Amino acid sequence: MLVVEGLTCRFGAKAAVDNASFSVEPGTFVGVIGRSGAGKSTLLRMINRLAEPTSGRILFDDLDVTALRGRNLRKWRARSAMIFQQFNLVGRLDVLTNVLMGRLADIPAWRSLAQLWPEADRALAMSALEQFDIAQYAAQRADQLSGGQQQRVAIARALVQQPDIILADEPIASLDPRNTKIVMDALLRINKHFGITVFCNLHSLELARGYCDRLIGMSAGRVVFDGAPAALTDHIARELYDLEANEVMGHEVMGGAPVPAPDGATVPALGTVAA
Amino acid sequence: MTKVSIPEPEGLRARYPDVFERPASARLAWPLMLLVALAIFVFGLVHLGFSPWRMLNGLHQLGWITLMMLPPNPGSSLPTYLHALGETLSIALLGTTLAAVFALPVSLLAAKNIVPSNIFRFPIRRFLDTIRGVDTLIWALVWINVVGLGPFAGVLAIAVSDFGALGKLFSEAIEGADRKQVEGIRASGGNALHEIRFGLMPQVFPVIAGQVLYFIESNTRSATIIGIVGAGGIGLQLAEQIRVLEWQKVSFLILMVLIAVAVIDWISSKLRFAIIGPRAVV
Repeated sequence: MLVVEGLTCRFGAKAAVDNASFSVEPGTFVGVIGRSGAGKSTLLRMINRLAEPTSGRILFDDLDVTALRGRNLRKWRARSAMIFQQFNLVGRLDVLTNVLMGRLADIPAWRSLAQLWPEADRALAMSALEQFDIAQYAAQRADQLSGGQQQRVAIARALVQQPDIILADEPIASLDPRNTKIVMDALLRINKHFGITVFCNLHSLELARGYCDRLIGMSAGRVVFDGAPAALTDHIARELYDLEANEVMGHEVMGGAPVPAPDGATVPALGTVAA
Repeated sequence: MTKVSIPEPEGLRARYPDVFERPASARLAWPLMLLVALAIFVFGLVHLGFSPWRMLNGLHQLGWITLMMLPPNPGSSLPTYLHALGETLSIALLGTTLAAVFALPVSLLAAKNIVPSNIFRFPIRRFLDTIRGVDTLIWALVWINVVGLGPFAGVLAIAVSDFGALGKLFSEAIEGADRKQVEGIRASGGNALHEIRFGLMPQVFPVIAGQVLYFIESNTRSATIIGIVGAGGIGLQLAEQIRVLEWQKVSFLILMVLIAVAVIDWISSKLRFAIIGPRAVV
């Protein structure tokens, strides 16, 4: 179980995340929602320890994540895989090597630095690529793939880390609607199939309602909503998003009609390709 | 043409006084600066004893030399010259390689995104500046006194002075690298070496390789110059033939250097395109 206690991150005088506390059961698909600049990214980055908390604690089962250093910190980063809005792949490396980056924490440094990847790790990487229907691009440079394909490579990289948590920071913000569905379905499949906890920062409320088991709403660094998607009333959503509300909720909201259930609400069958 | 009428010119003038009434200082700044630059230039010409007459008088001498250079002819020294050219190429290649090998780790320490602390970075940057501040020719004169005449001194001269130059250029390439790609490695559990090897190097390698290839080409010319002061290679032959006024041999030697540089340029452009091409760098 992931427990966050009074987590705060300050950049100068401004608190990006202010005293956030919650706990998440394993296997939950958590959507983190809120306006741009509400602290969603910083929250996820602190859990992976890419951003340093100013105060507060992150606990995973018995592990005090906030106290980790050196090798143990790297092990934790592998266990809490990040997926980024801009994919953060190494463009000039081939797709397979990019996925193998997910194995760095588990194999000896001399082997990885010399690119002597163990057979089992290559197989793991290829099978991850195959699951997302991009195994045929393994030898291609990552920057020659389309945005949707790159994000699937990034998800494959996260998966070979064999993580306990996946932290997806606006994973679909740079993608078109079709790839949005492919990527969100891939995350949902990982969540349901492997039971991996997923944290997903989303700007769109419609997607959040469709995919997530639980929503955490943030505003100005504070957690202002924490509950099931059904409990998020239009009134609360309006407060969360302020002026942007109509945009993120769809225009039906203006007439007071309920937000329609999105297509993504159904879980895709296991083993089917995301494409 | 459409004539656009201005509704109330007086109002515009009142609202944007800066646009319509520029102060004298702003209007005169440019002409004044040009005038000062011209004055400095003229002063320099007078001070250095520049006279068009001496140019014109010497011009026929230049024509004379050119005539005497034709046709280029190595005489019986072709084997010696080829050997000397080979020496010059080796000096350039070895010197640049040594410089690059030592510059790479130091450039990492001089890059802001690797060593954020100014306290550590500052002395390294100044160290590179200092080495770079002394020209290859001066380094050649220094090394000749340390290790004696010959190509070894030439290699050391190029290695040291270009270590400073490449160190600076490499560190700038590293600072220009995309942070997100490195972050991707860190977030997956990579250590600092992994971040450099997989996050940074693939990005900066094409830039660095291009710089090294250019330096090899440029150093073939530098090696000619430092050969003149006794650091081996074709420059030594060139200086000797100029001294004894063997202009046909001089022109032949110059042609040899030109061809060598052109060939190196051709090879390096092929290599560069192979490196920046669509294939993955691993």
